[in-house]
Amino acid sequence: MALRLDYVARETGSNLFRNITITLASVMTVAVSLALVGASLMLRSGVEDATARWQGGIEFIVFLNPEATPDQVDAVRGDLEEDPQVASHTFVDQQAAFEEFKELFGDSPEMVESVTPEILPPSFRVVPTEKDAEVVSALTDQYQTKPGVKEVVSATDTIRLVQNLSEKLTVGMFLVAVFLLGAAGLLILNTIRMAMYARRREIEVMKLVGATNWFIRVPFMVEGLIQGVLGAALAIGAVAVFRPFFDNLLPPPEEFPIFSNFVPDSADMLVIYLLLAFGGCVVGTVGAGVAVTRFLDV
Amino acid sequence: MIRLENVSKTYKGDVTALRDADVNIEKGEFVFLVGPSGSGKSTFLRLLNREEVPDDGRVFVAGKDIGQLSPWKVPYLRRNIGSVFQDFKLLTNKTVTENVAFALEVIGRPRQVIKTQVPAILDLVGLSSKAGNFPHELSGGEQQRVSIARAFVNRPLILLADEPTGNLDPATSVGIMRLLERINKTGTTVVMATHDRGIVDTMRKRVIELDRGAIVRDQARGVYQ
Repeated sequence: MALRLDYVARETGSNLFRNITITLASVMTVAVSLALVGASLMLRSGVEDATARWQGGIEFIVFLNPEATPDQVDAVRGDLEEDPQVASHTFVDQQAAFEEFKELFGDSPEMVESVTPEILPPSFRVVPTEKDAEVVSALTDQYQTKPGVKEVVSATDTIRLVQNLSEKLTVGMFLVAVFLLGAAGLLILNTIRMAMYARRREIEVMKLVGATNWFIRVPFMVEGLIQGVLGAALAIGAVAVFRPFFDNLLPPPEEFPIFSNFVPDSADMLVIYLLLAFGGCVVGTVGAGVAVTRFLDV
Repeated sequence: MIRLENVSKTYKGDVTALRDADVNIEKGEFVFLVGPSGSGKSTFLRLLNREEVPDDGRVFVAGKDIGQLSPWKVPYLRRNIGSVFQDFKLLTNKTVTENVAFALEVIGRPRQVIKTQVPAILDLVGLSSKAGNFPHELSGGEQQRVSIARAFVNRPLILLADEPTGNLDPATSVGIMRLLERINKTGTTVVMATHDRGIVDTMRKRVIELDRGAIVRDQARGVYQ
């Protein structure tokens, strides 16, 4: 049996407006919680982009000359392997360095075009056994002078601080967002329940004359879905508005070069927006779904 | 059309609503269910459109064992059964026409069918002049006519009426009974639970008497007693 679109639209519309204050409360809760999810995803993505080289305990990077001979590379590798103060190391060759460069400067194609793998330095990413600043500093000096080495760079306190802070912020925001999303789901559930209560006589008659269960359920499911989607749309709008503001809030890149890549690029943002839209649909549908199966005795 | 085979139904707290009921009702019959309150009349009716399922025994409607019916098929069973109640169950925010049209609309009938069927049925129950009125603007008898129109507009095989005259005065009740009789004459099987002695005694139809869940009398052309 075909569900008539005009019927569903009419019933859903009148339900949405019958309890307009509760509907607004659900929509706003969905919006606030999803905006928080969006902000924490944005923060995480920004920090990951900016500190991509410093993931997994890497404390310093030995950059080699692009024209270093294989013998020189092997010598440095041998030294690292024998060094008791080095826990592990990974070699990033020129092709991998180029891939990383492309990712880091994804928003500036002209930068990427001006670079080829041959001019980028290969490097060793080194995880020391001890993270003590003095030990790392002594190690850095030690490798600085080896043949074929261009430069040794160690993770600065700023990077550690940013990673640490963003990790805590991300987790904290996520937790708050999960609680809020739960609240939003419950609010939607109750809105739907109120809508069903308001229409209990219609529902009784529908069951009596043989309307199918889906015919009775669909307007309520659509109502929940609309609340979730409206909330997600507001959240996406808020995140989009917040994004350049986020940029201005941070210290200028000249002072802290690490922030130059802090704002997520468009591809990352698209993923975040899609996730938020999906989250809105899920919260709305689950809230309404629980309501119709638990309170609609059909 | 309707057959109950050794049907028993007990509600929570050991309330026996129906005990070992055996009944056979043919197509086109008119049957009164009589008996004191709590004797099982409403349960009898509720078993027929599967608002209840029997604890024991089997209920057949139009040849189908409806105890075995999967839940998603129940709506299709109910499209063949019209129901009328003492309290009418009309939607107060809809007009007479809208109340009747609603029954067709929610089972997905095309608009064209609704447009022709609703005025025809309102004419049959004698309410054409009140088509645009709301239920609260009608008398009790008129409201019951609307509810009968709604139950019959889809031309069901069976019409179940649970004390349809319970809220009406005797003169109005006679009109409602004439209407039900007319519907019965079209071939629709009518099963009506009632306390109304006068109606049962004048109409002289088949009478099934229930007492504490048991069928104590099943008499053709019977009286209330």
